[in-house]
Amino acid sequence: MKKKVVSALLSTVMAATMIAGSASAGMGTVEAAGTEEFDTSMLTKAENPVELNVTTTFAGEDGNVKNFQDAVKAYEEATGNTINDMSGTANEAFKARVSADFQTGSESDVLFYFNGVDSNEFVEAGKVMSIDEIREKYPEYASNMDDGRMGASPVDGKNYSVPVNGYWEALFVNTTVLADCGIDVPGPDYTWEQFLADCETIKEKGYSPIAAALGSVPHYWWEYSIFNNDTPETHLNVPETVDDEAGKAWVAGLNDIKDLYDKGYFPENTLSALDEETIQLFMEDKAAFLVDGSWRVNGLATNCQSDPEDPSTLDTERLDKFAVTYFPAKDGRKATDVLGGLSEGYFISRNAWEDEEKQAAVVEFVNYMTSDAMVARFAQHTASALKAAPDVDKSQFNSLQLKSMEMMAGVTSFTAVVQDLVPQDCRTPMFDTGMPAIVSGDVTPEDAVQQSLDLMAEKAAQ
Amino acid sequence: MKKKKHISLSTGVIYVILSAWALTTIYPIFWIILNSFKNRNEIVSNSFAIPTGDLFTLSNYKQAFERIGILGAYRNSIVISGIVAVAVVLFAGMASFALVRYHFKLKNVMMTAVLAGMMFPVFATIIPVFAMEASWGIVNTSSLWLSLVSVILPLIAGNLSFAIVILTGYMKGLPIELEEAAFMEGCGPFRIFFQVIVPLTKPSFATVMIFSFLWSYNDLFTQSFFLRTPKQYSITALLNMITAQQGTNYGLMAATVTLIVVPVIIVYIFLQKYIIKGMTAGAVKG
Amino acid sequence: MGANIYKNKKPLWIFLFPAFLFMAVYLYYPFLMNIYNSFQSITGLAHASKGLNSPWYSNYVKLFQDKAMRTAIVNTLIMMVVTIVGQVGVAIILALLVDNIKRGAKFFRTVYFFPIVISATALGLLFNLIFLYNKGMVNQFAELFGATKLIDWKDKSYALFTMMLPVMWQYVGFYFVILITGLNNISEELYEASSIDGASKFQRVRYITLPLLHNVICTCLVLAVTGALKVFDLPWIMFRSGMPNGATWLTGTYMYHQTMITGDIDYASTIAIVIVILGVIVSKIVNTIFKEKDY
Repeated sequence: MKKKVVSALLSTVMAATMIAGSASAGMGTVEAAGTEEFDTSMLTKAENPVELNVTTTFAGEDGNVKNFQDAVKAYEEATGNTINDMSGTANEAFKARVSADFQTGSESDVLFYFNGVDSNEFVEAGKVMSIDEIREKYPEYASNMDDGRMGASPVDGKNYSVPVNGYWEALFVNTTVLADCGIDVPGPDYTWEQFLADCETIKEKGYSPIAAALGSVPHYWWEYSIFNNDTPETHLNVPETVDDEAGKAWVAGLNDIKDLYDKGYFPENTLSALDEETIQLFMEDKAAFLVDGSWRVNGLATNCQSDPEDPSTLDTERLDKFAVTYFPAKDGRKATDVLGGLSEGYFISRNAWEDEEKQAAVVEFVNYMTSDAMVARFAQHTASALKAAPDVDKSQFNSLQLKSMEMMAGVTSFTAVVQDLVPQDCRTPMFDTGMPAIVSGDVTPEDAVQQSLDLMAEKAAQ
Repeated sequence: MKKKKHISLSTGVIYVILSAWALTTIYPIFWIILNSFKNRNEIVSNSFAIPTGDLFTLSNYKQAFERIGILGAYRNSIVISGIVAVAVVLFAGMASFALVRYHFKLKNVMMTAVLAGMMFPVFATIIPVFAMEASWGIVNTSSLWLSLVSVILPLIAGNLSFAIVILTGYMKGLPIELEEAAFMEGCGPFRIFFQVIVPLTKPSFATVMIFSFLWSYNDLFTQSFFLRTPKQYSITALLNMITAQQGTNYGLMAATVTLIVVPVIIVYIFLQKYIIKGMTAGAVKG
Repeated sequence: MGANIYKNKKPLWIFLFPAFLFMAVYLYYPFLMNIYNSFQSITGLAHASKGLNSPWYSNYVKLFQDKAMRTAIVNTLIMMVVTIVGQVGVAIILALLVDNIKRGAKFFRTVYFFPIVISATALGLLFNLIFLYNKGMVNQFAELFGATKLIDWKDKSYALFTMMLPVMWQYVGFYFVILITGLNNISEELYEASSIDGASKFQRVRYITLPLLHNVICTCLVLAVTGALKVFDLPWIMFRSGMPNGATWLTGTYMYHQTMITGDIDYASTIAIVIVILGVIVSKIVNTIFKEKDY
C-alpha cells in the first residue's frame, strides 16, 4: 500500500523551470576571477570556528567540481570555519562508503547525495533532518525553493534534502551523419515511425544508426522505450503482474528495443562493447543517435577541447556538429515529455544538528550553497527547484549548452525515472546481464519482466 | 670447434626467446608513456601512433599537477607501503620460521588458515573492518596520521598470507646444519632466527618485501574507501579521484599512471641491485 | 639433532603471535561475519541485516541453481589450467633461460617485472584498445595481412581467450621473480661437478635444477591456482558483468558483481565462502601431488 502512495506522489508532473547561471562550470572567467565572484554577504564570521565534514558527489569528472571547491573556499574565508571535503565520484564503492558511515555513526555533517531509494536507509533510520524539522527553528531554511519539487523521499513523501542541479535524458544527434543521409535534425514532433525510417536510411548509408552498448549501459534505452509505451502520469507505476497496465508497457518497451536490435540499428558489437566504445562511434561520425543524460553535454564539450580543463581550447566546429533533441514519441507520450528531475540534494545529519556548536553552521552552509545565485551557477541547462529563476546571460555558453537550453525551453513535462524504484538486484533480468539475453531471443521480454517482478516480490516479503 | 658453435647457436635462440618476451613487457609501459602526451580523443582513435607535432600535448601533466597535491600523495603512499612492507616481512618471517622448524599439533590447521587467508576477497571483509576501526575512532577523522594507520593495518594483514606461503616454501629448502652449529655455540631460537635464518633468507625476504610494497602501493579499493580528504589521499586514491566513471579521461589517466609507475620502476631497479648483492654475499648454498 | 633445537615450544608462540593476531583481527573475524551474513538477508553493502533468510540456507540452494555461478566455476577451472601452464610454465622456462645467460640477465630480470608494476586499471584500458573492435591493434594487424572483416574479439566465441590471455601475461613476471630467487640459491659447485661428470645442459636441468627448485615451484603452483579463484580486476575492466551474455563470469568477478552492483550481500558472502573452500581444496590437492619436501 505504501508503495502505491509513493509512486503516485512521484508521478506528479513537474513543471519545467529553465534556469541558467551567469557563469558555467570551468569557464575561463570563473577561474580568473577566483573566489571573489561568490556572494558571501549572507555569511557571518564565526565566533567559535567549527570543522565540518562534508561529503558530496562533486568529484572526479563532475562538471561542478570547480564550482563546488571555489564556493567552499569562499565560505571558509568568510566564516573562518573549516570544511573537510570528503567528496567522491558516485560509483558503487562510494555509495557503500556513505552507507558504511551511517551504519557506524561516523556520517558527515552535510551530505550532497541522492534523494531516491539510495537515501532510504538513513531516512528510515532518522539519521538525517527533514526540512520541516529544520524550519521549526530556522523558518527561512530553503525558502527560495518550491517545496513540491524538492525531491521528496520515497520513504514517506517528506522533503529531507535541498536540491541544486537536476538532470535530463534526451536524444543526442550527430548532424554530420544526418546531413550525409539527407535527414534533418529532428524536432519536438519526432515520431517513432519517422525514427525507424531514419534508422533504415542511415543503416543503408553504412553508418550505425544508434550508438549504444546494450550489454553494459542499457539504462537509457530501457527507460525511454518503456516511457514510450505509457504516459507521464503512469510512468512511475511499477507493475504488479506482467499483465497489468504497467507490466504491458514494460514488455512492449523491451519488444521495441528487440525490434531495433533485430533490424540491425545498434552497432554490431553492442552486446560486447563498453559504453565508451560506442560513444566513440558517435564522436567519430560513425553513428547518428545517442540517448544519454545531461552530463553528456559537458562530456562532449571537454572531448572537443584540446585541453580538457581549459574551455578556451574548444574546437567549436567539432562541437557544433552535435545537437540534442527529444526522444521520438510513440502513442501516449509527446516527444516533449522528457525524463529528468532533481536526483540529489543537501542533507543535514541529525548528529550535526544535535551538536550545538555545529547546528547554526551547517544550516548556514546549506543556505549558502543553495542560494538563488549558487543554484544558477550549478544548474546551467538543467532543471532546478527555484521559485524564481534568475536571468540568463547566454553569451557565455557553448553551442551544445545553448541547444540544450533551447530543447529544455520546449519541454512540456518532466518525469522521474522508474528504474530508481526498482532495487538494483531486482533489475538484473532486464539490465546489463539480462538485456543481451532478451534482444538475442534467449529470454522473452515477458519472462524477463516476470523474473524481475518475482525478485521484487521476494524482497518485499522479507 | 664444433661444440662451441653449437653453444652459440643455442645461446642465440635463448636470446631471441627472452627478447621476444621482453618486448611484450616493455611495450605497454612505452605505450602508456606515449599516450600520456596525447589528447584524450586521440588515445582511442589513434592510440598506437607516436605523439609528434599536433598530436603532442602536455595538458595531461599540467592537469595532473594542478590537482590536489601530487607530492603529498606520493609521501602518503610511500609511508603506507613502506611500513606495510617492513611489517609484513618481519611478522611473516617470524611466523614462517616457527611453522617450518617447529613441530606442533596445530601446525596443519594453521597452515590451512594461512592458505584460506589468502583467499578472502577484500569486498567480503571491508565492512566489518571499517565498523571495527570506526569504533576505535581511527577512520573518518581529519587527522592524517590516524587515517594512514587505518589503511596500514588491514594492508599488513592482507599481505601476510602470501608472504608466509612464499617464505615457508623457501625456508623448507634451507639446510639445518648451520642452525645446529649455532645451537652448539649456545644460541637461542631468537638469535638463530635473526643471525642465521634472516641472512640466509635475504633474497626471499627482498622478494616478499617488493611484492608487499607494490601491492599496497597499487591497492585501490581499501585506500579509496578509507582515505577521504584530499590531504589524506595516497597516489592510487588520487588516481581514482582523477579518473572518474563518466567519459573516462584516458589522457589524464595515462599521465597519472606514468606518474605512479615510474617511481616504482626506479625503486625496483635499485632494490634489484641490492638483491643480487645480497645473494652473492649470502654464499650458503643448498 | 634438528629436533633438539626446537624442542622447547615456548618461543614458538612468540614467533607466531604478531602475524596471527593481525590475521585474526583483520581477516578471520571479518570472514566469520561473512559466514554469519550468508544466512541473513542483506540488501546493500554496509546495510543492516533484515533478519534470517527463509529458509535460512536458501543462499546455498540458490548456489546450485544459479546458471551464472556454474559458468563462473567452469571458467575459473579453465583459468586454473591456464595459470598453471601459461603462468608458472612460462615462468619456469624464462627463469631457466635467464639463469643460463650472463650478459643482460639483469636487464631481463628488470623488464619481466614491469607488467606487475602497472595497475590493473591501466592494463585493462591497454588491452581494451588492443582488442578494440573498431580498429584496435589486433584488428589493424589482421587488416594488414588481408583480413576483410573486423573480428569482434569480445564476442562469445573469442571472449574467454581475450580475457585470459592478458591475465596470464601479467603474472608471468611474478612467478619469474620468485623462481629466479630460488634458482640463485642453487650452488654453482653442483653445476660444476655435474659438467665434469659430462652431464648435458638438459640433464643438468632435469636432475639438478628442477629437483632443487621443487619447493619453490610448489609454492608457485599454490599461488597460481588460488590466484585464479580470486582474479578480478583485469577481467572486470575488460568484461564488465560477465558480458557478453554472461559468458565470462569468474568466481572473483561474480562475487564483486553481487557485492557492488546488485548489492545482494548475503549471496555474495556465500560465494566468498565457496571461493575460500575451493581455494583450500585445490591448494591441498596441489600439495599432495607435488608433495613438499622437508629437511
